[in-house]
Amino acid sequence: MAAMKRHVLYIVRLKRYLSSYLGTILILVSLIGSSVRAEVGRPRGVAISKSSFYKPGDTFTCLDNSAVLPYSQVNDDYCDCKDGTDEPGTSACPNGFFHCTNAGHKPMYIPSSRVGDSICDCCDGTDEYSGEVICDNTCKELGRAAKEERERKKQLLGEGYEIRKQYCEQGKTAKEEKRSRLEQLQYDKVQSETIRNDMEALKNQAEIPEKEAKDKHQQAWEAEKASRQANREIDQITSAFKELDKNGDQFMSKEELQLHPEMDIDNNTVVSDTEAKEHLEDNDQVDFDTFKDKVWPNIKDIYRSPEPVAEEPPEGSTVEPEESPPVDPEMEADNDKDLDEEDDDDEEDDRKDERGEEGSPPAQEEEKMPDYDEETKKLIEDAALARANFDEADKRFRDTEKELNDINSFLNMDLGPDEVFYPLKDQCYEFTDREYIYKLCPFDQASQRPKSGGTETNLGRWGHWAGPENNKYENMKFEKGLNCWNGPDRSVLVTLHCGTNNEIVSVAEPNRCEYTFNFNTPAVCIDTTPEEPHDEHDEL
Amino acid sequence: MVTIIDPHIKRDDNYKIHKEATSNGYYVKNKDGQDYDGWCWPGSSGWLDFTNPEIRKYWASKFALDEYEGSTESLFTWNDMNEPSVFNGPEVTMHKDAKHFLDWEHRDVHNVYGLYQQMSTAQGQIQRSTKNERPFVLSRAFFSGSQRWGAVWTGDNTGEWAHLKISMPMLLSLNLVGITFSGADVGGFFKNPDAELLTRWYQAGAYQPFLRAHAHLDTRRREPWLQPEENMKAIREAIRARYSLLPYWYTLFYVGEIRGGPIMKPLWVDFPADKATFTDEDSYMIGSALLVHPVTDAGSSGVNVYFPGKTVWYDVDTYTVYPGGMTHYIPVTLNKIPVFQKGGTIIPRKNRIRRASNLGRFDPYTLVICLDPQGSAEGDLYIDDYHTFRYRQGEYIYRKFTFENKKLKNRNIDYKGTYKTTSWLEQVVIVGLQNKPTHVEVTGSSSERKSLDHSYIPETKVLVIRRPGVNIGEDWTISLQ
Repeated sequence: MAAMKRHVLYIVRLKRYLSSYLGTILILVSLIGSSVRAEVGRPRGVAISKSSFYKPGDTFTCLDNSAVLPYSQVNDDYCDCKDGTDEPGTSACPNGFFHCTNAGHKPMYIPSSRVGDSICDCCDGTDEYSGEVICDNTCKELGRAAKEERERKKQLLGEGYEIRKQYCEQGKTAKEEKRSRLEQLQYDKVQSETIRNDMEALKNQAEIPEKEAKDKHQQAWEAEKASRQANREIDQITSAFKELDKNGDQFMSKEELQLHPEMDIDNNTVVSDTEAKEHLEDNDQVDFDTFKDKVWPNIKDIYRSPEPVAEEPPEGSTVEPEESPPVDPEMEADNDKDLDEEDDDDEEDDRKDERGEEGSPPAQEEEKMPDYDEETKKLIEDAALARANFDEADKRFRDTEKELNDINSFLNMDLGPDEVFYPLKDQCYEFTDREYIYKLCPFDQASQRPKSGGTETNLGRWGHWAGPENNKYENMKFEKGLNCWNGPDRSVLVTLHCGTNNEIVSVAEPNRCEYTFNFNTPAVCIDTTPEEPHDEHDEL
Repeated sequence: MVTIIDPHIKRDDNYKIHKEATSNGYYVKNKDGQDYDGWCWPGSSGWLDFTNPEIRKYWASKFALDEYEGSTESLFTWNDMNEPSVFNGPEVTMHKDAKHFLDWEHRDVHNVYGLYQQMSTAQGQIQRSTKNERPFVLSRAFFSGSQRWGAVWTGDNTGEWAHLKISMPMLLSLNLVGITFSGADVGGFFKNPDAELLTRWYQAGAYQPFLRAHAHLDTRRREPWLQPEENMKAIREAIRARYSLLPYWYTLFYVGEIRGGPIMKPLWVDFPADKATFTDEDSYMIGSALLVHPVTDAGSSGVNVYFPGKTVWYDVDTYTVYPGGMTHYIPVTLNKIPVFQKGGTIIPRKNRIRRASNLGRFDPYTLVICLDPQGSAEGDLYIDDYHTFRYRQGEYIYRKFTFENKKLKNRNIDYKGTYKTTSWLEQVVIVGLQNKPTHVEVTGSSSERKSLDHSYIPETKVLVIRRPGVNIGEDWTISLQ
């Protein structure tokens, strides 16, 4: 009682002399007053809201009603209640809690194990009262900082929310646009498919006579070529025979054959009788017809005319450069098949040239297939046109189909509530760390590449939204990235935080090859936190 | 905080230690007399010759607070890779013909190389301290005598049940040869243990002298709070069980310092006449009061435990009594660790939960008294300031508790000890008391008698005495009537 009176007198004196500091000091004094009251009125560690359970008296009942104790056993540093409620102010109960008032900041419950452990857990330092350590009262500063943080967050949330609204607009609009386009496309698809099918029929129709005519022409040419070839060969054989038949008696004898060292079979540089006879099919001499039919096939590859031939193409050169003879535009429009055949013909001809036939360039020109006649050319032209029409119709159809599929995929995408994540699609964001540049493309993939340059490593493709049950849009999962040797496929878990810019703010790899990104975006600037109960414990 | 310092020094002219080692000739030499060059984590490395006392002095001086940048008196050391481990050496160690101090070849000093480094590091920590603080050095390589310098562990094991099982015979062997402060990596170094294996490993490790969870960088995160709820709780309970027994462990280590002897013991050490203990590798003693039989099988629902001696044993959770001389089946659940206190022993515990052991240095004690068939028990307790060497100048308490003829007495058994503590006695539990007492009182040094509340559970024959409130470092007697 006397103490209280003293306090009152003090206040009165101060009022008179320190009016400018009145406010502050009054508050201080009343704080002191209230803590004195607390020590008497409610036990240490008890929150005001629970003080009714701790009314001083003869007995105390554990809040779980498990026991009734003498009141002296409250805070006597021995645990008597199963629920730990007889020791709110000490560390005696393993399941107990201590309440810090923390005036100026947030009141808080801490586990009883933190009372009297020489660590200042409450900002008002009331959890340490043994004298072993003196705790500063940091509640004012913390309170101010917390308030600033709350305001900063509120501001950020506000700004972010405005942007978020725009995102929703964009997303909704985009999807609506696509939906109406979808309708149009579905109609277009049907149309273009019909047209395409029609064109295809026309094409097939035109190609029949075209092929017929071309085939006919080709066959005629083949026949012509064959006869020319036969004639050429006769010439060759004739001149060879003439040359071989040294004595001009219309017979080629084995002696005349032996004059040609290239007839040597066994590489002993001499053409023996046996060898000559072998070539001559066991005859001593042959007439022209026999020579043509029986001997020439044996020796045609080895026979060497002794006269130097003008413009003999060098050994080893195969085919002349495929600078094909000037080609008809009609033939260009044909399938490649024809040109290839022509090239093959040229090659065959060149090989023949190598064997020593005179005049290769002129021979080449001779081998060119003559132009198609006017009628055939017209058929080719018509068929080409039909083909072109078909190609165009086909392309149009495919393009429509593709766009349709793309739009369907897009419409099926989960872009979040009100399509809020739409603006993030088709964007990529980068973050540079000590060693790597990380890249995140939402709904697409994530990757990293070395800062110093090098190949990109895939860390995962878009998997799904991976947040907790009550808010799956908190996290994105990218998976099935490049496999880690002797480990998992790389993957990334992205956690989204409210921020006014879309950006990666940090990257970590808590488990080998399993990455985490923290990504700021206005898209999540909505207040999802429930009203914080400020750590109030409701034991009842 | 403990950070790693390996013995290999990176051969890098920008590295101060390498420069000093090179210019002073501190490196181990190869057979041709040049600095021995081997491959290790940093690449090309040299090794300081710890067999040379001058070089040990040099090394120790590097721990001075103004030398070891960023260090404080709360920073301690882990000397890893100090066999030494040389990646390109024969059997992954140093060449046998490398040359050491006084021309000794490595083959002759290989086994003590690690001990010398640990010794030197410990001395460095002692020297750097302005407050007479004790060192802490964990070492992978050790030899006879290493127990004087710090803790050791069994190296790179694997997260498999077989490795959990084998940690026991390994640590028992180490204890028998004097390496008492030893343990195995909880959870296994290689691979990823499942939640059950990890839980059982924490439980076993909690009852082994050196407790540390550790794993290879590439393994998945396995902190207790990342485990399923049930496992997290069981792991937390195991760690809390260990913390509550710290006074007991601490006393055992004090006695070990004075007298030697194993702390984690095969059963036959205390029961040499009981042949059934000779091949038992699944159970072991911690001191002379606790028998531990960790669960080391997946999905186990029970274990068979052999209880030696002509006495009784009490389950520390349930106080179920088991007569000695036979095997009993002990059913287990995920959070159960089969631990038994021997009849006739008194164990001092600190049951208050703390985030770190140091935070509980002023906390009160609970004495758990398990009576032998004759109704007696005894135990001891050692207390000091827990962090300095002042105990060597007598700043300690060493006391003995005895219970007989229904009286619990606390007496000083070492008057050289002058330490004072504020810790007090908050609870006494007497197990195996046949009859409920009518009255319990405590008499302190002032001869004032105080009546004490108590409660008796006839089913388990357990008496709980409420809040004696006497100082643990003073003489007093609690009597039952």
